[in-house]
Amino acid sequence: MGLKRNVSLKDGLRYQGKGPMLTYILHRISGLSIVLFVALHILAAFLSQQYSSSAGTFINDIYESWIFQIYIIFCGLFHAINGLRIVILDLWPKLIEYQNEAIWIEWLVFLPIYGMAVFVIIRTALAG
Amino acid sequence: MQVTIKVFRYNPEKDKKPHYETYQLEADPTDRVLDLLEKVKGYKDGTLSFRRSCAHGVCGSDAMRINGSNKLACKALVHDFGAKITVEPILGLRVIKDLIVDMEPFFDNFRKVLPYFINDDPAPEKERYQSQEDRERFDDTTKCILCAACTTSCPSFWASDEYLGPSAIVNAHRFIFDSRDQGAAQRLKIMNEIMGVSRCHTVFNCTLACPREIQITKAIGEVKKALMTGSLE
Repeated sequence: MGLKRNVSLKDGLRYQGKGPMLTYILHRISGLSIVLFVALHILAAFLSQQYSSSAGTFINDIYESWIFQIYIIFCGLFHAINGLRIVILDLWPKLIEYQNEAIWIEWLVFLPIYGMAVFVIIRTALAG
Repeated sequence: MQVTIKVFRYNPEKDKKPHYETYQLEADPTDRVLDLLEKVKGYKDGTLSFRRSCAHGVCGSDAMRINGSNKLACKALVHDFGAKITVEPILGLRVIKDLIVDMEPFFDNFRKVLPYFINDDPAPEKERYQSQEDRERFDDTTKCILCAACTTSCPSFWASDEYLGPSAIVNAHRFIFDSRDQGAAQRLKIMNEIMGVSRCHTVFNCTLACPREIQITKAIGEVKKALMTGSLE
């Protein structure tokens, strides 16, 4: 007797793991988003080139919109920088003692670059 | 101070689903969450079930989720949480009753890593000599009390209890890096299996949850590096 061991997504997300847990969740979300983006890109190219279909143009319109660009740049940039942090810590386990500092550095690198990219995207969008 | 404690309740003989019950208690800020649970059990509702033994952070019986993260109830002080405290069982293990979980999958994983000294050489007349530096190499991982706070904070373990989990890897680390032990190759082979160290995604929940402040992710990283380089240096 007793409950099953299943941990629901809600239970997992409710766990208070602080900064590192947040980066872990964002890494997963951004990874899946990149896969989705690449799949859409291939699909759009295939539909446009092979069938001259308007569906390809429709998909292109979605991911060329400035809102989608802001999202996908977040995903690509965050995934890359967080991935680099993990690779560095995996290769030099002694540095893991400074994991909190590593996460602060990661955000310090990420935020200015991302902020600059968002600024350029919005400026271009507003300029039409 | 007045404290409201919300406790996860599940009695398999009566309840179809788990639910929460809330109790109002008078407590000192320096009381431990375990004291609150004892008060609930002693004065409010004797059916509340939870594990506790030494109550001093050594036996590792009372790991639970307190306000969303794993802690030992006997080391968690009320003033660290405020007037509202939620207590739930640790995740990823089957709930038997209230805050009691089935620890068997956790200990199965512990046994898989051969957590004992392996050395077939004849025992010397006195002790097996070890320098202070060699002892220091695995000192941190000798502190594990098998409370499961780390393993049940790990998203990879939530996904599958076949994953060895941080605690089992910490205990493997304790022997892999012991200069007197001869079972490192056997244990590294186990660590290299599909449900071994490669399932660790450096989430760091384990390190934050450990009541003994063991650098768990670092220990797992050292095992990963030993597998990559084939060297224990």
